[in-house]
Amino acid sequence: MSPGRRVTSLRLRLLALTGLGVALALLMAGMVISGLFRDALLRQFQSGLEQQLDQLIARVNFDAQGRPQLDDQSLSDPRWQKPYSGLYWQINSADQVVVLRSRSLWDASLANAPDLLSDGALHVHGGVGPRGTSLLVLERVVRPEEMPDLRWRLLVAGDTQAVDDAVTRIRGMLMLALGVLLVLLLLAGWAQVALGLAPLRALQQALTDVRQGRERQIRGPVPQEVQPLVDGFNAVLARNAEVIERARQQAGNLAHAVKTPLAVLAQAAQAAQRRAPSSGPEATADRVLPDLVIEQVALARRQVDWHLARARAAGAHGVAGQRVGVALVLRDLLRVMDKVHAGRALELRCHPVGGDIAFAGEAQDLQEMLGNLLDNACKWARAVVEIDVVLLADAAAPSLEVTIQDDGPGIPPEQRMEALARGGRVDESVPGSGLGLAIVDDLARLYGGALDLDTSPLGGLRARIRLPAMI
Amino acid sequence: MRILVVEDEPHLAAQLRQALTDAGYAVDHAGNGREGWQMGGVQAYDAVVLDLGLPELDGLSVLRRWRAEGVHAPVLILTARDQWHEKVAGIDAGADDYLTKPFHTEELLARVRALIRRAQGLASPVLHGGPVALDTRSGRVTLDGHALVLTSHEYKVLAYLMHRPNAVVSRSELNEHIYAQDFDRDSNTIEVFVARLRKKLPAGLIETVRGLGYRLVAPP
Repeated sequence: MSPGRRVTSLRLRLLALTGLGVALALLMAGMVISGLFRDALLRQFQSGLEQQLDQLIARVNFDAQGRPQLDDQSLSDPRWQKPYSGLYWQINSADQVVVLRSRSLWDASLANAPDLLSDGALHVHGGVGPRGTSLLVLERVVRPEEMPDLRWRLLVAGDTQAVDDAVTRIRGMLMLALGVLLVLLLLAGWAQVALGLAPLRALQQALTDVRQGRERQIRGPVPQEVQPLVDGFNAVLARNAEVIERARQQAGNLAHAVKTPLAVLAQAAQAAQRRAPSSGPEATADRVLPDLVIEQVALARRQVDWHLARARAAGAHGVAGQRVGVALVLRDLLRVMDKVHAGRALELRCHPVGGDIAFAGEAQDLQEMLGNLLDNACKWARAVVEIDVVLLADAAAPSLEVTIQDDGPGIPPEQRMEALARGGRVDESVPGSGLGLAIVDDLARLYGGALDLDTSPLGGLRARIRLPAMI
Repeated sequence: MRILVVEDEPHLAAQLRQALTDAGYAVDHAGNGREGWQMGGVQAYDAVVLDLGLPELDGLSVLRRWRAEGVHAPVLILTARDQWHEKVAGIDAGADDYLTKPFHTEELLARVRALIRRAQGLASPVLHGGPVALDTRSGRVTLDGHALVLTSHEYKVLAYLMHRPNAVVSRSELNEHIYAQDFDRDSNTIEVFVARLRKKLPAGLIETVRGLGYRLVAPP
């Protein structure tokens, strides 16, 4: 895995972002909801306590000295009686001395808030209960009507444990619900990313098709956000192909431009050669120039052929995404051979070639290689030319081998190297530039393949060419 | 045998014309594709030498048009590009053979001879008509193995008839196939050549089919 892989994975980035966002939002929602809930419960609890406080105030009596008195038994709520029940009352003097307290407080008392209370104001504060539990304490000042100068503080306290328990229970359920929601949202996010990025996956497949030569351009619908990228890439591909096509065209034009004058020169020289006396003292002198021209024209033609073939192949080599069906190219060439050698009753035996056998390279180069080999075989064969194509199974570097053999005279082993040498011609009496095999060898090498020449079981030459295949 | 050469390069055209005329063919020349297409459509040629790189109408288009119009003359294409895809395209367009520039005159003549022969369904380069044998390669005619001396016009008439053994060939057809376009023809001269040929050949080899023309009677 490359170092940049983690950073550049859109999927991971999108998923991480979604997950983080959703988790944060849910966490905050959980906190806010449970807080609101607790507030609501506490308010409810407080209003209950306020009622209790009001009831207490209604039942407080004052004796002659203005001291408060409260009959425990007159209170309806049994919790006032039960020790540590969680509901307490207490009456303090203005200077915070405990005067009376509920039975439920037993031997404990409520802690005082060290402050002053204005008349009639309701004071709410927290406190600690007899068993260390937290309490909500409500306080009000009461005064006997007869002695308005006396102030008593009446306290009511409720244990908030029940509220806390409820909040905890609710919070647990909330967490569970939000957890489920988180999982669902993450799943939705993942699906969204997967669906959203699906076109990229299709694009990846399209690119693979281009690289493996099944397509020349990236096709298929792409999201409009990616379209400029695809258009740009296609433009590069098209431009690449166009440059190569133009280079080929120019190579062809150059060939045309050079070879027509060469043809004129050769024809003139051959005419002069025919006219020259075949014997006598002038014979030699008259033949010098035509001979020289013919020789040099042949040389020039070989040079042009050689360099053009090389330029073409070098141009095409390295262009990604090339794939040529061997069967198709062979069929075209065999059609040419059938027609051109129609007068010779040649038998062209071509073993069936699998439609899936493809050459990883340029069509014209394959045509050039197989065409030259076939033409060579047909030129020399007495009656039979045999063609066979096999795929060599090698997962690392798949290759294919085309064998073309004939029943002609063949090439003696010591002359085979010469035949492959640049411009070498084994037999000058048969027409041709003499470059055929050398160009084939050169092209095969450019593609990382090889051309082998040996003797065919049919008696003639067996040419085996190994080339990279596209699986 | 009348041949059309479609070639725009004047030197090469002149050389081709000369070489083919020297070999005993009547040769017409077209300097561009359009002219070549029109000439090939009007006159029945025995073979066509067609350059692919032509002005006005390229060689492949000329060829395709001919084939679409039912012109069946065997065509040898001349190509400078020497690439197989061009050869394939040429053959697919209806060519019968190709030759890459520069080429040897002998090779061109051999290809043209083979094309004419193949078009008539004849396998051997030596044509036989009874005791008469005509070697298309050397232009030699023998009668019972002895060389026979013929003038060039006599040879052209005999060669045309021998390429179509047992077929009736009209006087005008003979006229068209042994003279080039710009030659001042006289149809009576055909009768003169045939009469001279009959004197040199065994009696009954060339018979007159009244009102239709001549026939070379070749015993099977």
